[in-house]
Amino acid sequence: MRAETKLARTHSLGSRMSNETFITLFMLCVLVALFAVACAFVPNFYLPRNMINLLTNNWYVIILGIGVTFLLITGNFDMSVGGVIAMTGVLSVYFCQGAHVSQNVLANGLGLPYVVSVALALLCAMGIGAINALFIARLKVPSIIVTLGTMMIARGIGQIVTNGAQRNTSLPDVFGTLGNMVLPGTTIKLAVLIMIALVVFGFIFEKMTVAGRRMYLIGANAEAARLSGIKVKRHLASLFVLSSLLAGITGILLASEFKAGVSSRATGYEFDALVISLLGGVSIAGGFGSVLGMFVGAVILSVVTSAATGLLLSPDWQFTLKGVVTFAAILAQRFALDKRKG
Amino acid sequence: MELTENVLEIRDLVKDFPAVRAVNNVSFDIKRDTVHCLVGENGAGKSTLIKILTGATLRSRGRILLNGQEYSPRSTKEAKQRGISTLFQELNVVDQLTVEENLTLGIEDTRFGFLRKTDKVNAMIGVMNSLEPSINPRQLVSTLSVARKQIVEIAKAVATESDIIIMDEPTAAISESEIKRLFAIVKGLRDKNVTVIYISHRLDEIFELGDYVTVMRDGKHIETKRVSQIKDRSELIRLMIGKTVFEEYTAPEGGCKEAILKVEHLSNRKLKDISFDVHEGEIVGFYGLVGAGKTELARAIYGVDECDGKILFKGKKLSPSPDRVIAAGIALVPEERRSQGLFTILTIRGNVPVMNMRKISRNGFVNSAQERKVTLDYIETLRISTSSTEKEASKLSGGNQQKVVFAKCLFADADLLMLDEPTRGIDVGAKSEIYGIIRRLSREGKSIMIFSSELPEIMNICDTIYLLYDGRMKATMRNGCDIDSEKIIHIVTGGE
Repeated sequence: MRAETKLARTHSLGSRMSNETFITLFMLCVLVALFAVACAFVPNFYLPRNMINLLTNNWYVIILGIGVTFLLITGNFDMSVGGVIAMTGVLSVYFCQGAHVSQNVLANGLGLPYVVSVALALLCAMGIGAINALFIARLKVPSIIVTLGTMMIARGIGQIVTNGAQRNTSLPDVFGTLGNMVLPGTTIKLAVLIMIALVVFGFIFEKMTVAGRRMYLIGANAEAARLSGIKVKRHLASLFVLSSLLAGITGILLASEFKAGVSSRATGYEFDALVISLLGGVSIAGGFGSVLGMFVGAVILSVVTSAATGLLLSPDWQFTLKGVVTFAAILAQRFALDKRKG
Repeated sequence: MELTENVLEIRDLVKDFPAVRAVNNVSFDIKRDTVHCLVGENGAGKSTLIKILTGATLRSRGRILLNGQEYSPRSTKEAKQRGISTLFQELNVVDQLTVEENLTLGIEDTRFGFLRKTDKVNAMIGVMNSLEPSINPRQLVSTLSVARKQIVEIAKAVATESDIIIMDEPTAAISESEIKRLFAIVKGLRDKNVTVIYISHRLDEIFELGDYVTVMRDGKHIETKRVSQIKDRSELIRLMIGKTVFEEYTAPEGGCKEAILKVEHLSNRKLKDISFDVHEGEIVGFYGLVGAGKTELARAIYGVDECDGKILFKGKKLSPSPDRVIAAGIALVPEERRSQGLFTILTIRGNVPVMNMRKISRNGFVNSAQERKVTLDYIETLRISTSSTEKEASKLSGGNQQKVVFAKCLFADADLLMLDEPTRGIDVGAKSEIYGIIRRLSREGKSIMIFSSELPEIMNICDTIYLLYDGRMKATMRNGCDIDSEKIIHIVTGGE
């Protein structure tokens, strides 16, 4: 009897690959194949410099993608991230601009120290997240409706503060530091390092922590999660605030890089973040996906766009191309998952 | 067409589901222009029979003749065209439309895509007026009571020349005076050349309304009789439960233990002044028919539904929120396994520890080795048949899924387990295994509350039995040799 049990144990321990690992690997293969094709047709595509660019030039969408992926896993959308970037960037500039320095209204700000300006701007970003949380987690309004609303509110605030344009004067020098800092001896920006660190943290969070686990449980079956004693509202609320905070950090970095707060910044990024998550195998129905997959999805999108540019394809074609690739990749995923035997 | 004496003839009808034969060689006739009642316990096969008649499910074998002609509908629409309409418990009316629009919904006369007012509309309104003159055709359906919505549906069925109207527990959600009105209408339908198939758990209604009654039990046809030939309720009850052989119940040893849960004067929308105690190591059963308030009681204690009254667990008041109730030491196996209990797209390992993550984690980080070990332990002790801890819960059989839900609740280290329909839809083997688990838990000192609509289950394992009817606690009995199943059925069907 004892021996038999032992046998059963070792047998069960030889577990199969999870669907999630399977999809991530599948998309990695798609990535390698696309890369090979691009190398064959686009001159200099294989150069290490280009490869590094492919991995890093999408850093802002990837940071957004972390929050968006987490929320998709719980079965919710966050369409407000692009607007939050614009709002946070504009506000950080406004808070930091010197007070009463010019006749031009767009040159006058609040004259706060840089650190305080950033902290306040991030707080405002989290405020948008809190509004999302209130309506979605507590009042049960569908997330797509609420976040489309806050998307416009956030961008609207950016437009009011900039009179529909931008603020870029009377800023202290320190404002431009963060966004233009590079790793000594390389061209790798601080923002890229932050992105990599966040992806690693995100992966550790979703795979190893209790809170990460609960995220999947809520997405898999919110009612069962509630009946199992999970504080669903609180978890959703924190994730919405986190997603807005990540968008806020992106907004601060972008504003610093250009030393300007532009109200039209990051238009459409919420869709890019959604697309790379879906490309990475995150399920729109919830309960399934990973930030690692999302990262692979981002690189796929990056390979496609930069190959298109390299082939001198007119920029007018890029949107259509992105659409076709996304569509094909997601169909391939569904097909591969269905083929896989349970 | 010459009219046959029987509007419906059912011959050797069989319906098989993967683990169970739900309808087993059923044959009987339904006479034209009568009210024909269909009774039986939960699981007797009534619903499946109705689903076959309405085209919601296909039969496995057998014949049905409607007006003397072969009848095998593939959809409710086809059933309607052949003349069988159904009044489901979930009514089929559109709240946002007027009564008139509802009557003609789906059969509107149009010209170039625009609605046309024709004689048909007036004819339908005429039928409705003859049934219930006080309903205004221009009224929005959302302003009508449930009973009046039913009348709108009946009117539509009559006006579209249905031969048969099936009514599935029409009185479950309407008031006493509305029931009288409904009965008057149903009786009047005979003169309009409509046959009614009437399903109800309230046995008194059958004597008041029925011309014939068919009793089903365990998927089989037991008897079809004129209602006037049946002596009284108890004869009907005997037909319904038959000589059910109950597994031997043995009372536990030891004397009176301390009360772990005290419920006093619990009331809410569905529950009326319920009080009881549960003792340490006791198995308490709550028996009642569908809609008696079993699930509502479990949900109220668990903090899911709001309620008034006092709930004391281990001497302390329970906070009304599942996470606090679980922390206090109560776990629930919910009624709907797939939608409330299980995370079907996750693995067994993903399901088992969710109610007590603290036990497999440290500082918020999951210890996956421990998680796997715990899962394997439960796979062994509950004999969950699976090839791996990584199998998705959706790919397990019903019985094994239920065992995973059990494992989840056991891992919560609860002192009181609430089991809502613990063996619904699972096969006999898994059932008796689950009873074994329940008995073992009780021996280990855990208290257990079982909410069930299966009498054998309640009589088989419960020490104390509470009977619910219409949200009220009707009776309490200690299980033992003198327990009387006929009396129980008498009480839960509304008898005094």
